[in-house]
Amino acid sequence: MIYKRSELGKGIGFTSMVDSKFKSCVLAVYFLTESDEKTAALNNLGTGVLAVSNSRYPTYAAMSEKLSELYGASVGSIAKKKGDAQILGLSASWLDDKYAIDGEDISGEMVSIVHDCLFAPNVRDGAYDSESFAMVKKDLLDNINAEFNQKRGYAITRAVQTAYRGEPAAIMEYGSKEAVLSSTAEEAFAAYQELLKTAKIEIYLVSPDEDNKFADMFRESFAEIERAPKDVSIRSHSPLKAEVETVSEEYDVNQCKAVLNFKTDSDDRYALKMVSIILGELPFSKLFLNVREKLSLCYYCTSRSISIKGAFFVDCGVERKNIEKAKAEILAQLEEIKKGNISDMEIQGSLMALDNAVSQVGDTPTSYITWYADCFFENDYYTPEEHFNRFRGVTKERMVEAAKSLKLDSIYLMLNKEVQE
Amino acid sequence: MMKKEILTSARTGDSCIHVKHSSGLDIYICEMNGFSGVEALFGTKYGSVNTMFKTAADSDYTVVPEGIAHFLEHKLFENEDCGVFELYAKTGASGNAYTSFDKTCYLFNCSQNYEENLKILLDFVQKPYFTKENVDKEMGIIGQEIKMTNDNPEWRVFFNMLRAMYHAHPVKIDIAGTVESIAKIDADLLYKCYDTFYNLNNMVLSIAGNISADKVLEICDEYLKPCADKGLESVFPPEPDEIVEAETREKQPVGASIFNLGYKCAPRSGIDRLKAVSAASIVSSLLTDPALPMCERLLKDEVINSTFNCEVFYGDGYFTLIFSGEAEKPELIREAVFAEIDRLIAEGINEKDFQRVKKSAYGIMVRELNNVEAVASLMLNAYMENVSPYDSISIMSELTCGDVIDFMRSQLRRDRCVLSVIETED
Repeated sequence: MIYKRSELGKGIGFTSMVDSKFKSCVLAVYFLTESDEKTAALNNLGTGVLAVSNSRYPTYAAMSEKLSELYGASVGSIAKKKGDAQILGLSASWLDDKYAIDGEDISGEMVSIVHDCLFAPNVRDGAYDSESFAMVKKDLLDNINAEFNQKRGYAITRAVQTAYRGEPAAIMEYGSKEAVLSSTAEEAFAAYQELLKTAKIEIYLVSPDEDNKFADMFRESFAEIERAPKDVSIRSHSPLKAEVETVSEEYDVNQCKAVLNFKTDSDDRYALKMVSIILGELPFSKLFLNVREKLSLCYYCTSRSISIKGAFFVDCGVERKNIEKAKAEILAQLEEIKKGNISDMEIQGSLMALDNAVSQVGDTPTSYITWYADCFFENDYYTPEEHFNRFRGVTKERMVEAAKSLKLDSIYLMLNKEVQE
Repeated sequence: MMKKEILTSARTGDSCIHVKHSSGLDIYICEMNGFSGVEALFGTKYGSVNTMFKTAADSDYTVVPEGIAHFLEHKLFENEDCGVFELYAKTGASGNAYTSFDKTCYLFNCSQNYEENLKILLDFVQKPYFTKENVDKEMGIIGQEIKMTNDNPEWRVFFNMLRAMYHAHPVKIDIAGTVESIAKIDADLLYKCYDTFYNLNNMVLSIAGNISADKVLEICDEYLKPCADKGLESVFPPEPDEIVEAETREKQPVGASIFNLGYKCAPRSGIDRLKAVSAASIVSSLLTDPALPMCERLLKDEVINSTFNCEVFYGDGYFTLIFSGEAEKPELIREAVFAEIDRLIAEGINEKDFQRVKKSAYGIMVRELNNVEAVASLMLNAYMENVSPYDSISIMSELTCGDVIDFMRSQLRRDRCVLSVIETED
């Protein structure tokens, strides 16, 4: 793979990754900005419309027709959060020109489409086209309503909101339902204009052959924009609550969910990740072997370290009558790590699993983008091999220290309406 | 003696190796240069629908409890001396398994030690160990899995649709069974099912990625235990062409109402099925294409949103085309789909639209060949469906408008359509 990163303008990075084994190309344009209740919904809608229409293909129908003509090429919007930041943008993927049956210039067409989506959207009198905007707004509102359809995901979202209450990280990637409802096409377009000026921008292109068309297009197009990028703070340790807070909500569900959130003041992200793997990320982890296999309490019981926020989550699906038992066992297994009861097999197995995962960076175009975007967000560039070596350097003592730094902060419980036994 | 052949896609130039191994096992191997990962799938034609079966040696059919194929999959991960995950922990592989309606697959993904991982995979799948204690222990875990899926509205709306569509075919039963049905499972029954379906003549190994075909075959020679073909016969109760009921609704604690709109089509097998799948896929693309008037109007009227989708679902004895998504008034979607199918049959399909959606389908198929996991699945599914891995691309390229119209006219009948809805509680 040939990797090249260049600056196309103030606060605009362009990374090209050329890997001849692929049959398709993938592009991702990220706008990085601070999560803010006032702008989150508008930023989401403002970038959401970009993937639906542009000035040349002014309706979703016209855009879809063009993309399917290009062998099922796709254009989509990006909206997610990372720590205290909101990440928005546009993604695209298409078949490499070599596989076009009729010799079409697919990549050339995609340069124009992406250009028009970002720099010539379908706008009239300072507002997005009303039809495109209405469609995106309805879609977002429907997505918000549908969050509760996925009970595990909903429980984790509620746990995150409880853990980070009052911090930018608690703001959803869409802001709030009320903010979405009150948004207008004019405000959304203005929010996007602001992102073009002030967001940090990172662009990633993965293709089987070197292709400068995209870099040239972005360079020329951004040259016309007066850029004043703002610094974005992603990383901040979430403060530990004075007392453990439990939030319980009752619903008409079959299975209860429990999400435990711990906080840490440790910056040792590699040791924290090792603790998470050993505790609950894999089928040989302590939670799998004990909470699931030994006590048969849960089908899933997993952990996750969010070092960017100094947070650590454990979540499981469990019978209401067994919640306390499951919680006690989770805490007991964490306690084992704090005591240093970590076997060589657990450490070696975790390292092997990490090695397995990082070695496959580059097996899909998206894996390259995810890797280098994460480096950018962490402001720490390393190769997969260097990354793995940092894990290999984590001693058992560092793991114990990291585990000891974890303090229970809050618990979210989704309860069913059965009478408690 | 092994029979070895190289299968090639004339369109993309991709190729893989198919071997009929002397043990009875079919083996598919795809060496993928430049990729780091390896994906291996060891699968059997045994899923939740195989509830009634016999071998040539049996005088009567055996009927087993619902959910037993899935239960067996869970239990095969335990060896007599240790768990399989412990073995994978030593090699770094990510091991897993899944049971679907018509197959059970054991898999690993790794970037190192694939030889060792392949040995683990071939060994444990051929070495069952079921006891009363380890069977009883699994009841609680699978019970929680069943409860979890019962809270999944997509799962419920789908099974409600299948129950309204099929009178007798076991596709309508939940893959994991119920808490009551799995309580009837014991070690003897598991051995009975294992001995019947985990016969190498009924199984496939599919492996793709950074591998050497010669090395894979060498390990297979060493680890595969030859099996006599037992003349397995899996039977299904007679299934009428008609549906059970046209509409089913259930209230659930959901944030957004969802629906499945499914057509009961005639089941098929082999290349015939692949042709029907290709025709159905084109219908699916045409009817969910935002560039075409039906979808454009439904979006504009806010009847559907971007979740509107359509897929072909099929297996032994069942074949359906299912529209799905979030919608407050799915009956309007049913009306629109009925009218659009009538219109397409009466007026024909615009040739430009037809070529466009075919191109799109081709592009998506070629892009799948980019991916180690997708290639391993492609080869496994080809075995399960008794076709060649690259048949889909060639059949799609030969498909005509007439084939698609014929499919719609013969299969997409209004009286064979079921609407299943999960509605928000008041």
